[in-house]
Amino acid sequence: MAPLKSLELEYPIIDVNFQNFCASHAIFSVEDFVLHDLYQLAAFAEQQPTSERLKEGITQVLNIIDNLHQPWLNGLELLEDSLQNKQVLSTGFEGVDLLLQGGLREGQLTELVGPSSSGKTQFCLQTAANVAVKNMGYVAYLDTGNSFSPQRIAHFAGQISESAFNQTKQKIIQKAMSSILCHSVFDIFSMFDVLRQLEFDLRSQMDRGEYRVPLLIVDSISSLISPVLGGSGSQGIDP
Amino acid sequence: MEVSSLPISASQRGKLISAGYTSLSSLSSVSSSDLARGAHNAWDMLHEEESMTRITTSCADLDNILGGGINCKEVTEIGGVPGIGKTQLGIQLAVNVQIPLEFGGLGGKAIYIGNFMVERALQIAEACVEDMSEYNRFLRNDFQACQVKMQPTDILENIFYFRVCTYTEQIALINYLDKFMSEHKDVKIVIIDSITFHFRQDFDDMALRTRVLSGLALKLMKLAKDFSLAVVLLNQVTTKYTGGSFQLTLALGDSWSHSCTNRVILYWNGNERYAYIDKSPSLRSASASYSVTHRGIRNSTSNVKRVKMM
Repeated sequence: MAPLKSLELEYPIIDVNFQNFCASHAIFSVEDFVLHDLYQLAAFAEQQPTSERLKEGITQVLNIIDNLHQPWLNGLELLEDSLQNKQVLSTGFEGVDLLLQGGLREGQLTELVGPSSSGKTQFCLQTAANVAVKNMGYVAYLDTGNSFSPQRIAHFAGQISESAFNQTKQKIIQKAMSSILCHSVFDIFSMFDVLRQLEFDLRSQMDRGEYRVPLLIVDSISSLISPVLGGSGSQGIDP
Repeated sequence: MEVSSLPISASQRGKLISAGYTSLSSLSSVSSSDLARGAHNAWDMLHEEESMTRITTSCADLDNILGGGINCKEVTEIGGVPGIGKTQLGIQLAVNVQIPLEFGGLGGKAIYIGNFMVERALQIAEACVEDMSEYNRFLRNDFQACQVKMQPTDILENIFYFRVCTYTEQIALINYLDKFMSEHKDVKIVIIDSITFHFRQDFDDMALRTRVLSGLALKLMKLAKDFSLAVVLLNQVTTKYTGGSFQLTLALGDSWSHSCTNRVILYWNGNERYAYIDKSPSLRSASASYSVTHRGIRNSTSNVKRVKMM
């Protein structure tokens, strides 16, 4: 976390005097600052001879912090956003759509859990095919176990597209499959790389509106995390 | 990020800035959107997959339920009770991967880690060469040029054998395989016989074991994908106490079952040996019978054999 003195260059109000004052309350970094009782700090600042400057310093740090977090939204804004901007993606499974009240919701994280061979990968493949065929945009598929099967995707896509003529059906399948992008990731760091790249690409394409990625699938996250998770004690995984 | 701070030559930087591109984000919106940077789309992958040859097991029924044979780029786990034929299957695959392209094979080399029986491998290799000559005589008797050039000793030469004595050696070896592969690009299959052996004894810390095994599994997956080879893991069985009864299940626990692409279980049914597809993203659940002969793995000769689709 950033030490307070690194802010001095840009914000001269956070001078040595201020830093010493904070240090006397065991505040050395921005994190310490946020965790400390600010009323108490302000009260102590009052008692100092340079109280005005100290209080300005406190306000300045709080301003910096304010600019770094997401803007506050009230409930009404959230509701409007979810009604207008966040679509519901049908999974292609009627029963599951019913359970999820329409399907997978954009902006939400859905976790799929099950024992081996219960159909998790098939669910992911079917949902990817469904979203791709219904033209909702690109699907990003992160595969950790080489279980992405283009053969199955073609099969599902064929089932979903309702066209009667073989020719057009083939074109639909081709277009759908070209919008499913599969990355193979075998460790947590490459997954972070892919996600970061995806975020970057989406942000820079936002105004163009051509590239939408409504669905991101990770199959499976636990195989990436289990080599890293663990250590002493109970927080492990049942072998 | 500013263009001025990019690590490019001064002349290039000057050109970019004079054209008006001062920040990295302005650049990326101009170039064709590479959401696909490093990714493949499903359509291309489909065509790639269709053109990939599979490794035959020499048993037509087994090949059928496997969709043609063992697939490259995938990790297949084969487990079963002792004596069912896991090592036999492993050796058969190490020989079959070397079948030349003219005979519909991959013409690749094999890496075998673990329990290798040389005399048996020689026997299977001899049978394979005989089969190829017979195929030659049967189908291509007009073309005298196509003679089987392979000898059983050539086949043995193309199997790289590693022996491991502890789990540390096993982990070290799998880490080393990366380097080995870049020097021997024609290796098309890696067989580990067995993946479980060194991990079942002397492991006190179960959580550590799970972590190490899942790390191992990911490395093998990456190897299979990057070098387009098949990875075959042979596994042992153990007994699990669930719901009041004892069941036979593959060793290394539930978490290991997520670490392979396909899972095949070998079992006895009366006097017959059967193979069953337990887990696969693209293969249907099915079982087929096979037999172990002195020539290797072959079709079962029983009259009532039947491939069961589930």
